[in-house]
Amino acid sequence: MFAPARSLENWAASWARRRQGADAHSVVLKRRRIYILPTRFGTIFALMLLVMLLGSLNYGASLGFMLTFLLAGLGLVLMHHCHGNLLGAEIKLLGAHPAFAGERAEFRIALRNDTAAPRYEIELAHERHATSPVDAAPGAQETLRIAVPTERRGWVTLGRFAVVTRHPGGLFRAWTWVHMDARCLVYPRPAPPGRPLPESAGLGLGGKPDVGDADFAGLRPAAPGDPPQRIAWKAFARSDVLLLKQFAGGDREPCELDWDALPDLEPEARLAQLARWCLDAAADARTFGLKIPGAALPLGAGPQHLGACLEALALCETGER
Amino acid sequence: MRLGTPAPATPAAELARLQWTTAIVAGATLPHWPTLPFWAPLLLGVAIAWRLAIAALEWPVPVRTLRLLLALAAFCAVLFSYRTINGVEAGSALLVVMIALKVLESKGHRDQLVLIMLSYFLLFASLLTPRGPFTAVYLLLLLWLTTVGLLQLSRRGPLLQLRSTGALAGRLLLQSLPLMLALFVLFPRLPGPLWAIQGTSTSATSGLGDTVNPGDITSLALSDEIAFRAQFLSTPPPARDLYWRGPSMTNFDGRTWSMSIGDRRNVAASVEYLGAPTEYRVMLETTGRNWAFALEMPKLAPDERTLRMGSDYQLRTFPGTPRGTRLDYRLASYTRFRALEPLGEAEREMFRRLPPESSPRTRELVQGWLADNPEPEQLIERGMDYLRSQPFFYTLTPLALREQPVDEFLFDTREGFCEHYASAFTVMMRVAGLPARIVTGYQGGELNGVGGYYIIRQSDAHAWTEVWLEGRGWVRVDPVSAVAPERVALGSWRSALAGERVPGSAFGRLQWVRRALLVWDAAATYWNEWVIGYGPQLQRALLDALGFDGAARAERWSKLLLLCVGATLAGSLLVTLQLAWRRRRRTPVDEAARELAAFTRRLAHLDVAPRAPTEGPAAYAARAESRLPHAAGEIRAIIAAYLRARYERDADLAALAELRTRVSAFRAARA
Repeated sequence: MFAPARSLENWAASWARRRQGADAHSVVLKRRRIYILPTRFGTIFALMLLVMLLGSLNYGASLGFMLTFLLAGLGLVLMHHCHGNLLGAEIKLLGAHPAFAGERAEFRIALRNDTAAPRYEIELAHERHATSPVDAAPGAQETLRIAVPTERRGWVTLGRFAVVTRHPGGLFRAWTWVHMDARCLVYPRPAPPGRPLPESAGLGLGGKPDVGDADFAGLRPAAPGDPPQRIAWKAFARSDVLLLKQFAGGDREPCELDWDALPDLEPEARLAQLARWCLDAAADARTFGLKIPGAALPLGAGPQHLGACLEALALCETGER
Repeated sequence: MRLGTPAPATPAAELARLQWTTAIVAGATLPHWPTLPFWAPLLLGVAIAWRLAIAALEWPVPVRTLRLLLALAAFCAVLFSYRTINGVEAGSALLVVMIALKVLESKGHRDQLVLIMLSYFLLFASLLTPRGPFTAVYLLLLLWLTTVGLLQLSRRGPLLQLRSTGALAGRLLLQSLPLMLALFVLFPRLPGPLWAIQGTSTSATSGLGDTVNPGDITSLALSDEIAFRAQFLSTPPPARDLYWRGPSMTNFDGRTWSMSIGDRRNVAASVEYLGAPTEYRVMLETTGRNWAFALEMPKLAPDERTLRMGSDYQLRTFPGTPRGTRLDYRLASYTRFRALEPLGEAEREMFRRLPPESSPRTRELVQGWLADNPEPEQLIERGMDYLRSQPFFYTLTPLALREQPVDEFLFDTREGFCEHYASAFTVMMRVAGLPARIVTGYQGGELNGVGGYYIIRQSDAHAWTEVWLEGRGWVRVDPVSAVAPERVALGSWRSALAGERVPGSAFGRLQWVRRALLVWDAAATYWNEWVIGYGPQLQRALLDALGFDGAARAERWSKLLLLCVGATLAGSLLVTLQLAWRRRRRTPVDEAARELAAFTRRLAHLDVAPRAPTEGPAAYAARAESRLPHAAGEIRAIIAAYLRARYERDADLAALAELRTRVSAFRAARA
């Protein structure tokens, strides 16, 4: 799109924002906020109608007039149908799963159709991207996903997006701008793997984890150095493959992931390394604790613990930002 | 905006879109096939097959240079076929071949939409020539198909089912109809073209020609095509007087009669009209000629602006009237008249001229008559007597005539139809020294009892002789009346030729078929009058009837345009209301809940406490049953229907309908 058109669109959108105000997490599209303009195809169609009109006038062709006016009527009807395709639809924010910096944060937005008539070809447009269009049957709810690129850890907000349709016929584009207060947590981009986990056993952080709640978590191929008492001998008798029994929480010595243990790195790089370690520890099913400026998480394991640690890393105030 | 964003489509989906596109394009060219050179549909077919092969069998796409060469070749071929690229037919042909090439190179969403647009335009181009109501219905179907294509191909997602899209397209077109009608009636019409229309139509112009060559007219006599329709405003004259006069033939080269060139003089003043006038209206089919037909002998009103009377008493349109327009005129004619055109000696000579060596046997015969009695009236009578007394036959399939057509006809074959007789009789009169000519036109006509007018077909074409007599002027002599009097007396040769292969005779005994054909013709006439013929005059008459009479053109136009805007707004409102009504209805699930609410309200009047938010329908039913034991069965049935309509997977409308009838029956019984 041309730069002037884009700035015009931005201006119109901000005008609409002032007019409409911010939206709740669920919006029913009313007449007041649905805008409609012909597409380029629609403009060509209108030009064709003009040529047809001139031709009919020139040849005094009654049937030519009829077709011209029927198509003009069709254009008008299509405009109303296009507008009606959005009118009364409900747009709901479902949420967004956290993402790592560099990935795309995916906001899930539901399109609900509570009317008896189906809605066709509705898409969401965000920045320069549009989702692929969905059809919503009567009473149906369809989920659309807006992927927002992320660069830095912290919160990423969705900002303005548009609900767009060109159905039916593609002559018109009806849209509405939605400004929902939606945000998605962005974890730090993990450092490349390589640096081994620190093997410092629980100094002043939370003591030994409770081995009693160690649950059998699965099998993995055994490697040299694994303790022989963990080898799954029964499985070996069946399949000739040495497998190691793994237990959540009780697998290995718990590790402490400490901000201060990485004095050689820049603050952001430290966070990246800590994120990498968190992921490694969770992948190894080890218990781990995290200590960073402003937050200290006790030893723990499992996806929730990992999520809490990554969130702490994402929101960490290093004093530099 | 992001119109060109290609949808990530599978090859199968792409092929489906392509099939749609090509089907629509092929359909839109159908109305043009009769006027296209044979190779144009062939080219389109090859282009479509090739394009589909590219998509389905991964054939190579033709390189750009080849495509350009093809385009150039197609352009030249059209130019060669039509000698022009101007005009409706050549333009349409050019459009078709260019579309064929566009199909070949089309790829993706945008090209497909462009092809749909061009299909609409092709349909439009086919409407620049007037079409009958039947063709209009056919074109409406094609329009619907094209709109289905538009709806399908404008989608980015997978194509929808044909049923739902077809229904939507139908609904869209129906909703556009009111606006179409309003604009059709109200949009200001121009009395003339904006730019010159090239008369390059290559379609065979049917009707009488400007030459008469006995033998030619066989095909015309068998054509059931309609020449014109005539509606009498006063009592119609008897069939034997229904001579519809057309062009006269003066020059004869021994085989072919042709018209004299140029207007000799204004002959209208020389006519002496006798008796009472017959008033009628003629609705002429397009002929591509500048002449018109009228009952002999027309008297033009002084302020007549459509027609003028040229030499030979022939009606013509004024110069500058675009040919190919459908003429509709009112006339008054006198079936009794004297055409007292004064002829000078040079003119008499012109009407006596014969090729010197022609028709020796005829000359010999007529010389004998001249020797007996040189009175002009007697000579005419002798001629007619000769035709009557000798074994002449009236037939539509005469033998071919060779070197001396007139002699061979008069003495050898002795069978033929009106042109043979008119030609031979005129030659006899010229040999006898009387100025004579052939007049062509139509005789008789078929009364359409449904529409109350006469249909004059090409098969009613006729030719007769006019002889100029001193003091009496031009006198009509119809030699056919000597041979086949029924042809003239009944105004149709259908009865005279019962056994012959003639149009309509196959249906002769099937009265209802004939009746249906007449109804159909009446419909076609109304169509021509009110739809095809709707132009500035009718519009003005309509406005006058609405009370806008007397307004100046600019004022009228501004009013009309204002009305157009009003109609557009009203149409918009109508569509909005329709859409709102469609959207207002809820899903079957909500409807079921509404029915249950109505039911509980009814029960509340019967002392059953309203349903608590936490109370399930089954528990509520049990409570209601214990309160109203006599209605337990009905209550149970209603709740069961409710549960089916509301909670069953894929609950259909039948369950809802059952719930509805049960609830309303319950409410009615306890009202």
